[in-house]
Amino acid sequence: MPSLQRYLRSIYRVGIRAWWRQLQYISDAKSGRFVGQDKFGNKYFENYNAEEEVPGRHRWVDFSQHAYHASQVPPEWHSWISHIRKDPPTEDAMMTASQRPWQQPWTENLTGTRGAYKPYNTVAPKIRAWEPKIAPRA
Amino acid sequence: MFRTAANSARRVALRAPGALPAQRSFHVSAITLQDKTPIPTHSFSPAEPITTLAQRGSNQLSLETPQNKAEYVLSTLDKVANWARQGSMWPMTFGLACCAVEMMHMAAARYDQDRLGVVFRASPRQSDIMIVAGTLTNKMGPALRKVYDQMPEPRWVISMGSCANGGGYYHYSYSVVRGCDRIVPVDIYVPGCPPTAEALLYGMLQLQRKMRRSRKTVLWYRK
Repeated sequence: MPSLQRYLRSIYRVGIRAWWRQLQYISDAKSGRFVGQDKFGNKYFENYNAEEEVPGRHRWVDFSQHAYHASQVPPEWHSWISHIRKDPPTEDAMMTASQRPWQQPWTENLTGTRGAYKPYNTVAPKIRAWEPKIAPRA
Repeated sequence: MFRTAANSARRVALRAPGALPAQRSFHVSAITLQDKTPIPTHSFSPAEPITTLAQRGSNQLSLETPQNKAEYVLSTLDKVANWARQGSMWPMTFGLACCAVEMMHMAAARYDQDRLGVVFRASPRQSDIMIVAGTLTNKMGPALRKVYDQMPEPRWVISMGSCANGGGYYHYSYSVVRGCDRIVPVDIYVPGCPPTAEALLYGMLQLQRKMRRSRKTVLWYRK
């Protein structure tokens, strides 16, 4: 349950520095087991003690980027953080077995940048631009 | 227009000597880039994420980089305005079909839009975002435009669901507008039929990202 005691205990556990970072990014003091880190530097935590973290808020991510958003979590960690799989991809045998050497690394949503997905048109254009034809002078 | 040998020969003959061959693109406007290096497929560095790499050479990056003290002040003012705007987005609800139910879910306890300062406002004159949720019919089109015109600047539009994005299931119907972007300019398209409340909330967050990119006074200063 959220309480002052829990808050102070979390600060004591994670330290002032990490608490300040948590305050900037997740607006709460959370402490728990460090589960793993993905290739992008995002850190994942969990705390199953219902006395310390409200069930439903027991798995969380500490994003490495300042401009964070949900698509920065790669799919294997997404399945862990949203409880599609019980174990994190570092421990899940199925997950490690399904990693292929030819697999492309995950790319976050690039909307609003030059890398954004842009569909192209395969239909003949309906509008024809005016192409001036110059008549040869006599 | 037709790339045949005869046509290109004619084009070469008509071109002024020394002029560069004109590039014409029918579907997209030509982008002038200072930096033509291809965008890498991925980046593992938190200091230089892929979104930063993908912005290199863009006009947006140029806008976000102040070139003198005046621009520094103006872009800071822009950031303050952006912060204020993204912190209280009041969407005008334009619920037309089943997507509206998912839009209501976004306001309900689980996704709780209130924590982001998003409050539904039933009046167009006091809202700054319009969420077009559902099939836009020909009959509703003028009403949508009227409501959009009543909204004060700056305003944004989120097109929610397949029907609002491009007609969706009713694309070939005689009575449906094939995408609400034929009536109003759309900022964010949320795909899905219907999109989940989570997807819509993600769309709202993407709109926040778009708001944060705005550099209106810097643009004014540079002009």
